[in-house]
Amino acid sequence: MVALARKTLFYEWRKFLPAALAVAFSGLLLLMQAALMFGIFDSASVYVNTSTADLWAGYPGTQTIELGRPIPRDTEMSLRMDPDVVRVEPFHWIDGDWRGPADRGSVSVFISGIDASADGLMFAQAIPAEMRRKLFEPDSVIVDQADLPKLGLAIGGSAILNGHRVKIVAACSGLRALGGVNIVTSLATARRLNSDSTDRDKVAYYVVKLRPGANPDQVRDRIEKAWPGRRFTVWTKAEFAHTAATYWMFETGAGLGFVFFTFVVFIVGTVITSQTLVAAVASHVREYAMLNALGAGRGALRRVVLEQALWVGGIGVIVGAIVSALLMLLARSQSVPTAFDATAASACVVLVLTIALVSGVMAVRALSHLEPANLLR
Amino acid sequence: MATTHALAADGIAKAYSTGKIQTRVLDGLSIALEERELALVLGPSGSGKSTLLAILSGLLRPDRGHVVALGEELGKMSPPQLERFRLHHTGFVFQGFNLFPALTAVEQVMLPLGYMGIDTRNAQNRALAALEEVGLGSRVHLRPLEMSGGEKQRVAIARALAKKPQLLFADEPTSALDSVNGKIVIDSLHRIARVFGATVVCVSHDHRLAASADRVITIADGLILSDIVRSNDALPPSVTLPELST
Repeated sequence: MVALARKTLFYEWRKFLPAALAVAFSGLLLLMQAALMFGIFDSASVYVNTSTADLWAGYPGTQTIELGRPIPRDTEMSLRMDPDVVRVEPFHWIDGDWRGPADRGSVSVFISGIDASADGLMFAQAIPAEMRRKLFEPDSVIVDQADLPKLGLAIGGSAILNGHRVKIVAACSGLRALGGVNIVTSLATARRLNSDSTDRDKVAYYVVKLRPGANPDQVRDRIEKAWPGRRFTVWTKAEFAHTAATYWMFETGAGLGFVFFTFVVFIVGTVITSQTLVAAVASHVREYAMLNALGAGRGALRRVVLEQALWVGGIGVIVGAIVSALLMLLARSQSVPTAFDATAASACVVLVLTIALVSGVMAVRALSHLEPANLLR
Repeated sequence: MATTHALAADGIAKAYSTGKIQTRVLDGLSIALEERELALVLGPSGSGKSTLLAILSGLLRPDRGHVVALGEELGKMSPPQLERFRLHHTGFVFQGFNLFPALTAVEQVMLPLGYMGIDTRNAQNRALAALEEVGLGSRVHLRPLEMSGGEKQRVAIARALAKKPQLLFADEPTSALDSVNGKIVIDSLHRIARVFGATVVCVSHDHRLAASADRVITIADGLILSDIVRSNDALPPSVTLPELST
């Protein structure tokens, strides 16, 4: 069988190029927006994902770290009572007001007071042991290096944080926050920086390390059962990260924006791709009519158009993937939070091929007026 | 109606309407054509000759009358059945060559064979033989852009011929060609009738072609004016082009 669809596509590539590019850019837009959105959601759960804690305890109903409220100090004892718990450490989270160099004004920041010991759980994956040791020095802070320009300071620089002078002793990476700057200090420094004097000694969270091999879900259930009158809730690491991502997705409007944008990309991609395909089909309508006169069925001719649409889709996916990969590398090199996994990538590919296929179906309609008798003029 | 003819039309009528105006193109025309015969249908523009060809070939249904082709009544077939009938029994050569720009000559000819279910190797052999028959044996890998008008029309003839059709329909096949190429084309059609036993119906307004036909039917205003059978038993010369033999 002569590969009419493929040969025409490659011989007349200029005609099909706009369609392939429309598909490629649709894919690029979908993938980049997914990567940026997931990257932002990852930032929302950066506290959870960069820490090695298995369980989190916090105020009941807390949806995301920023919304935490102080919980009773005896929570720590309640957690330690469980036989599978090997370590419990407080995590202090407070708002802050950063005043750096005079020309910068003030920056809204998030202060994380963590256990600075070498085997501390909080931010264990972002701040290595020797770096966190520097936090034992009073009024020392660590920030993400991507945030240094925003703060207007380099390592060693100092600023006024909640009315206290602090010094940047190190810069880590992977702690870029959503809508602000993360400032990491020791628990003792954080306590001093807390402007709310009534709750000065209370923390919003306790993080828990379990014995190796322990099942976090079982331990969570056991603790919650053992303390029926408790004024705290226990989440597993996965639950708490998921809660944060869900909060940003559904409670902030970001998710709806994502769906809306996806819809727009789909419509625009389909319109451009189908118009190009319709024009390509229409330019050969006499040849198709000839084939129909010679006995090639309409179904067979439709398949030629659909096959061309799929080729356009496939080529578009490849071009889109290459450009996306390059842009992703660029984004990473600039510490722009991006993230995507195989599921997101496959979803983009499926969506983009659907754009091509729907366009093909629309282009097939250009064949509906096929009338071989019209060739006899 | 007798079914001994390869192709017969009985009392066919066709009218086109544009708005409220009805134009009667064919008005109860009857005709019977034999195998191994090149029938030339001559007539001025608007005489209804192209409509006659469309109805005889099953591309168009008449308002009245019957067409019996190879013993089957076309009017009783559903559109898919008509497509199948055309696929297995008919070939077409049109005024415009209607070749796919992307395909080489041999691929153009192979394309319809694929729809007939013929495998690639056989299709290629048939296509090469058909191109050889129309004198394009050395030009099989050229694309339409690289061919002259006469060569393109011969590819179109080879495309129809390779299907080994019992019925071959040609609509003004020489009108876009000069007289030398026109002669080559009509002689090719004549040979197809003689060598392959096909019934060839050729519609034209070019009276010079009459010399190469077995039968010349003249129509005007949807009716047959004259129907002359010529005693021309000589086999038309096989195609050799001066520019190709060098």
